[in-house]
Amino acid sequence: MASKYVALPKGVSEKNFDAAIREYREILGAANVFTDAEHLVSYNKIMIPDSNENHQPSAAICPASTEEVQRCVAVCNKYKVPVWPISTGRNLGYGSAAPGSRGQVVMDLRRMNKIIEVDADLGTALVEPGVTFQQLYDYLQDNKIPLWLSCPAPSSIAGPLGNAADRGVGYTPYGEHFMFSCGMEVVMPTGEVLKTGMGSLPNSNTAQVFKWGYGPYLDGIFTQSNYGIITKMGFWLMPAPPAFKPYVIRYPEETDIVDIVETLRPLRMAMVIPNAVVIVHALWELGSFLKRADYYTGPGSIPDSVVKEMVKKHKVGMWNVYCGLYGTPEQNEVNWNIIQHVVKSSGKGELLTAEQVGDDPVFKYRADLMQGKMNTAEFGLYNWRGGGGSAWFAPVSQARGSETMKQMEMTKRILGKYGFDYVSEFIVGWRDMHHIVDLLYDRTDPAQMQAAHACFDELLTEFSKHGYGTYRVNTAFMDKVADTYGPVKKEVNRKIKRALDPNGIIAPGKSGIWN
Amino acid sequence: MKKKRNQAAVLAGSLVIGFVASVAAGDAWAQVAGQWRDAQHVYSKICANCHEIGVGPVIKGRNLDPDYYQSVVRHGMRAMPAFRPTDVDDAMLRQVAEMLSKSPAPGGAK
Repeated sequence: MASKYVALPKGVSEKNFDAAIREYREILGAANVFTDAEHLVSYNKIMIPDSNENHQPSAAICPASTEEVQRCVAVCNKYKVPVWPISTGRNLGYGSAAPGSRGQVVMDLRRMNKIIEVDADLGTALVEPGVTFQQLYDYLQDNKIPLWLSCPAPSSIAGPLGNAADRGVGYTPYGEHFMFSCGMEVVMPTGEVLKTGMGSLPNSNTAQVFKWGYGPYLDGIFTQSNYGIITKMGFWLMPAPPAFKPYVIRYPEETDIVDIVETLRPLRMAMVIPNAVVIVHALWELGSFLKRADYYTGPGSIPDSVVKEMVKKHKVGMWNVYCGLYGTPEQNEVNWNIIQHVVKSSGKGELLTAEQVGDDPVFKYRADLMQGKMNTAEFGLYNWRGGGGSAWFAPVSQARGSETMKQMEMTKRILGKYGFDYVSEFIVGWRDMHHIVDLLYDRTDPAQMQAAHACFDELLTEFSKHGYGTYRVNTAFMDKVADTYGPVKKEVNRKIKRALDPNGIIAPGKSGIWN
Repeated sequence: MKKKRNQAAVLAGSLVIGFVASVAAGDAWAQVAGQWRDAQHVYSKICANCHEIGVGPVIKGRNLDPDYYQSVVRHGMRAMPAFRPTDVDDAMLRQVAEMLSKSPAPGGAK
């Protein structure tokens, strides 16, 4: 007999699922539990190269408070129903709002949208999972609180808690988002509520100002994991600097990546460049507002010669380095002189200010992101190829020119084998680079989807052979990436999982962690 | 919502008035199902992000059926993400769809 559900959780009978759904409805109200295809479709819109069937949720449950999360977790344990928690559900190109595997119930925390506290003196915020960057931004603006956010490019519709929990990055000096988180409230798989760091001390008022607490620092194990459901997270917010000066350095050749990294690393490490600088390839720079079909309709990857022509025509660099200066005008002046001197001495690169660039929409969106302003212009990248397919390939590299060159060449070669373009940027950390490549493909074309899947698989295989790991991956490749980090790491993760979540109800398979 | 004023602090030449703010659900900044002010609020905080800057197509003044808007919002379309019932509930989505369906084209162009 056909089930009345779109899908069922693995190992759960329809009768038991009926009972679980009934209990979720008692807790949350019928309006906040979805099992119908019409509403569940919005939880299954993905961009990654994997079938929608593999990520079809059986239901979505939408608690509005920590207490409701606890009660739902109790029901999950009772019936062994797995739940996939999401915050704002905008992990686009990593799996969006869909569960890691078919049949899991999405626990949608979007309704938990309280900005619990903003402390303008200490520059801290405490928020729930459903708070979007736009909501927090509007709140700071309307209350004239001089603190800046750091957001990833989807900015307005994404949220600080989910992004930090997946260890996403932004573009201000606070761009390594998990590093600037401070204190969590976590509903454990047993239903207990854990406050990490100083938060577990009764009457403590230091949970958002001191990260480590006492004893083992636990926050890290709740990121990119399935050991609990984060229901609140604290953040440090950056004091708005008296002056901000964005600039771009454009380089004409692809091989300039070596000199760029060698030139900028000392400045970044010494904090002369304080923010998460991006080194943007021409196809990302131009792809955010141009369409591929207007420049190339032949087979395979877009040829280098065509990219060169585009660079010339649109007067951008083959690499475009976006940085900002943050401080008093006097401080910025000192650092600007250092940067001018270093770039000039390197003999390469054209250094341009906002005034020199003029009315350039790409510069504007980069400048906005570097000051934590909402701007979704980067979504224009999805129009480059069209068809809604995107998978972020995100290997970590040393901040060393020779390494970035090697990674670039490997990536281009493998993408080329499958006919995809090298649309990339390097996000510069203090000693690392997040090498971010958007594998863009037409998801309406089954052949391209298959090729994208195979290409992504080969990228992971080849990179891990060379000792390169990825910092984050989409839900179709979590096991594969977990394997690249070796059996001991995987087994320790599993032991922690079994100890904390004996029934395996929280996001089975997240980051390759199973019971 | 309660606001507690603390002492003023001077930082790098700019006056910063410090306060701790606690915000309740349903406040003026909420942007979630059941808490939107009206259809225009939804449009300005979500749709306009892409559809007014050339990333997504113009969706005003197209004489499209409200049902079509609703369907695209829930399903997404190509690169456009889907918006869930927790982002915008069915009743408010209907209002957004009807507002867009009747809207004139931006700048009076057709």
